[in-house]
Amino acid sequence: MKQRLTALILLCALLTGCAAAGKGEQPLTATVLAMDTVMNFTLYGGGMGEEQLRQALSGAEDTLRQLDTALTAQGAEGEAAALNAADGAWTAVPQSGALLKQTLELAELTGGALDPTAYAAVKAWGFADGNYTVPNREELDALKAAIDYARVEVSQDGAQARLAPEQQLDFGATAKGYAGDLLRRQLEQGGITSALLDLGQSSIAAVGSKPDGSPWRIGIQDPAADSGVYLGVLELSGRSMGTSGSYQRYFEQDGVRYCHIIDPATASPARSGLAGVTVVADSCLLCDGLSTALFVMGLEEGVRFWRENSSLGFDVIFITDAGEIFVTSGLKDSFSLADREEREVQVLE
Amino acid sequence: MSRSAKGIAALLVLLLAGSAAFLLLRPKGEGQVARITLNGKVVQEIDLSRVEQPYTLTLEGPGGFSNTITVEKGRICVSKAGCPDQICVHQGYISDGTTPIVCLPNKLIIEIIGGGSGLDAATG
Repeated sequence: MKQRLTALILLCALLTGCAAAGKGEQPLTATVLAMDTVMNFTLYGGGMGEEQLRQALSGAEDTLRQLDTALTAQGAEGEAAALNAADGAWTAVPQSGALLKQTLELAELTGGALDPTAYAAVKAWGFADGNYTVPNREELDALKAAIDYARVEVSQDGAQARLAPEQQLDFGATAKGYAGDLLRRQLEQGGITSALLDLGQSSIAAVGSKPDGSPWRIGIQDPAADSGVYLGVLELSGRSMGTSGSYQRYFEQDGVRYCHIIDPATASPARSGLAGVTVVADSCLLCDGLSTALFVMGLEEGVRFWRENSSLGFDVIFITDAGEIFVTSGLKDSFSLADREEREVQVLE
Repeated sequence: MSRSAKGIAALLVLLLAGSAAFLLLRPKGEGQVARITLNGKVVQEIDLSRVEQPYTLTLEGPGGFSNTITVEKGRICVSKAGCPDQICVHQGYISDGTTPIVCLPNKLIIEIIGGGSGLDAATG
């Protein structure tokens, strides 16, 4: 009897103890305003000391700020700004050369659905400064003529580049992804095995899984609903995701909604029938760039692109303007609809 | 049952009650608090679970214009803003900590701390 009681008492103590430990390790978090958005970093130290974890976090913040300054098309020190101001002359791009090369490769791969030289159009529509206007036909023709990634030249060593004189470039579709890849590598080299880098929701990079081994759970925004209403959840471990949607940055004029994603073929906001595209892959840069390109392509062409480029190892969630949800086969198990959702998920093979 | 056994049984009941109380009453962090940050400084924290009547408040930011914030029970939004892009207004209401509202031109952040959506991040 006594033994049994002792066992029960022990069990009580254990239960209490487990409840206390169940909260688990608290992460170190930081919110950073950079690259025109707000970013959130969550780092778990594992067995690492708190000081070391702090250093890893502040190191990541430093790298991000440095990249932000170097890559922007707006600030005085930005390399994209320098390229745009060079009037076609060779310009030093020590920090953005690698990103430029990768962005141009993606542009070629996507047949120009992603094109970094669409920046003049981005500005003309007012998406750079918020002074929205609809350019007239002549303006649009001139803007269209200037968009062509193939006319950008990068030196062999990637240290210099030049545009055609009338061209304007920015890294809006790839800079956050590039930063995500760089920061993840930096954290991993610093011994971090569990972290989530949310680079402004459009790009998310995961280092490993949560400390308990379970995947990170990422809400997929319903394009047709208020912010924070998720149509589903995607589980992510050690990979990246990138999202492009028409539902947050846009303006309306004469009853037409113009979203911030410019279709390089028309120099105008993309109208492809898609409301949102999320890409999942190892590389955050690939996710970031492809989500923009697939959004511009639309569902049919986007699905074809996915089928023809399976070697890239990416998967996609397409959400149409009509609210239909299509998920490529690789996400069958990691994507789940929200409980209240009655919509069907169509799996693409 | 002997007296000592009764005593131990009573003690056990007490312990169980203690464990249960600890499990049930420990803070779950469900106080849904909206933290408003302007230019890097916290200007206000509002417990959204205790808002009885909806109200608005207006903040002037470093961008040189104001954001009008609507506070309701359990949710908060920017209902009016002087910024050119209106991204903060388009975002609508938030009610959990997954996605903050941000007005970059005015350096305004509204985030919900405490509470939980069971999510680690979200697309936007």
